[in-house]
Amino acid sequence: MPILESIDALRHRIPRDPSRGMRTDVVVYASDVLLKQIEKDQSLDQAVNVATLPGIVGPSLAMPDIHQGYGFPIGGVAAMDFQHGVVSPGGVGFDINCGVRLAASSLDRAEVAPRLNELVNQIFRDVPCGAGGEGRIPLNARELDSVLQDGARWMVKKGYGEERDVEFAEESGCLPGADPDQVSAKAKERGRPQAGTIGSGNHFIEIQYVESVHDAEAARAMNLRENQIVVLLHCGSRGLGHQVCTDYVAAMGAAMKEHGIAVPDRQLACVPIQSKQGQAYLAAMAAAANFAWANRQAILHFTRAAFARIFGQGARLDLVYDVCHNIAKREKHVVDGVERDVLVHRKGATRAFPAGHRDLPASYRSVGQPVIVPGSMGTASWVLVGAERSMQETFGSVCHGAGRVLSRTAAKKGKDARQEQKRLEEAGVLVRSASRDGILEELPEAYKDVDQVVEVVHQAGLARKVARLRPVAVIKG
Amino acid sequence: MTMPQRSFEILEHTADLGIRITAPSLPELFAAAAEALVSVVLDPARIEPKREYAIEASGEDLDALLVNWLNEIVYLLDGARVAPARIAVDELNEARVVGRAFGEPRDVEKHPHRITVKAVTYHQLRIEQRAGQWRADFFLDV
Repeated sequence: MPILESIDALRHRIPRDPSRGMRTDVVVYASDVLLKQIEKDQSLDQAVNVATLPGIVGPSLAMPDIHQGYGFPIGGVAAMDFQHGVVSPGGVGFDINCGVRLAASSLDRAEVAPRLNELVNQIFRDVPCGAGGEGRIPLNARELDSVLQDGARWMVKKGYGEERDVEFAEESGCLPGADPDQVSAKAKERGRPQAGTIGSGNHFIEIQYVESVHDAEAARAMNLRENQIVVLLHCGSRGLGHQVCTDYVAAMGAAMKEHGIAVPDRQLACVPIQSKQGQAYLAAMAAAANFAWANRQAILHFTRAAFARIFGQGARLDLVYDVCHNIAKREKHVVDGVERDVLVHRKGATRAFPAGHRDLPASYRSVGQPVIVPGSMGTASWVLVGAERSMQETFGSVCHGAGRVLSRTAAKKGKDARQEQKRLEEAGVLVRSASRDGILEELPEAYKDVDQVVEVVHQAGLARKVARLRPVAVIKG
Repeated sequence: MTMPQRSFEILEHTADLGIRITAPSLPELFAAAAEALVSVVLDPARIEPKREYAIEASGEDLDALLVNWLNEIVYLLDGARVAPARIAVDELNEARVVGRAFGEPRDVEKHPHRITVKAVTYHQLRIEQRAGQWRADFFLDV
């Protein structure tokens, strides 16, 4: 276990240790309680391994929701010099552009409560959920290529959404530079039937209400108010993104030697950003990211239709924002007083640009970028806005969720799905799941406390609390 | 013919799950690993071996060969949408493995998926030969 020095109550450092090949420090954002949980798995060792990657700029960062991943820790941020650094598919993850999207309804909790059951059943019917579920949007090869190029815009153009939706997504729901030709036939084959599907694992749609508002001005900018019903959905690029990652980890693993790169964990396979293979990966990653945005767009559209069916055409669901938490983005950041051109790997971390940033939609420019942090199933989620210190310390990044503490196997041990579903329903949360395991693996006790995670980034000045959301229903794979 | 002594058990990981395989030979290890992976996703008892599907993988060393081979199985399940009942390894050398899956096209009703496996990883991957037995540990991102 690496040695941690405390910088202050919320910041901790593992100093650069050249004997471990570290090129820079690791900085961990956590409270004492969270730190104890973090130290139980290998996530800090993984953050140390990230610190060995060529071209890393600033420290290897660990967010308070950090937990053990594959190569990179989940909840890790690493910026690489765009000219001289490397790109690592493991720093993005298998689920490229896994992310969350929050939509605000025109309805209050009291209006939805009497028909909640009908609403949930309607959504469960209309949005394909679960492992192996096929979508309702058949795509031929040419259409799939267009989706990979245009992302959420393709869906809106085809009628799966409203024009204003794309404005309220990171990158307007389309990462530039996507090249479908860099995506293998296998990846396309995996993804093609899955457009507009949620998938399984920790992916979900939750119907929630705004329990409390903590920043009135930011909440107003997002049209959020207490007791309002909102929809939070979490999913990514499905099999297409998984296969893109698999393909490039394999190819880069074989090519690292040629580039004179050695890594302490093969899952960190990487090549120079400026190499042909590095550029090919970034073009394929952008394509997969666009597939994910298209997915979340289609799912929002189906959910809207379900709301309209139950509550009439007047019931609105307006997109608040859509953020990705598995991505690598080219950004400009000031490091030690110098502006640097970097590729920011966010693996289980969310972009959190503060007020005034030019990449934000006009309506959020004065309050900061909405950051959506889902908690564990049936507990609470948070809406934050990016704050100034994120630009100074974390390459404009914060946490992405609660962060697992128990393995899926451990979470299920001794638990009965029907009983757990009843327990959640008694606590006021309706649950519909495509599988029993889906419920048990995602039980709240398998995760850290999201309130504690959010408190760290709030107190550290990386982001500000805007609203706490409580679920009334969960639809999951 | 005696049945090969193959076994597998589930290992724990905070994010996901791992599998430990024991087998008497390297080809058996690769076949057993592939079948164990399938059984995490589908119920093999419900699959009929009606057709044969070719599987092939290459890798720069034994670790890469196993990971790439198993990721071919992930693709077979999720991309080619095949439900394999049994998997055989016909040829295995340092750089290449060739095998066959015996199964049928996946039918969502007949072969419900238990979970989706995103990929097989290098995380804590270990392949070793001990006292005439081969053993492999590998972890899945699910």
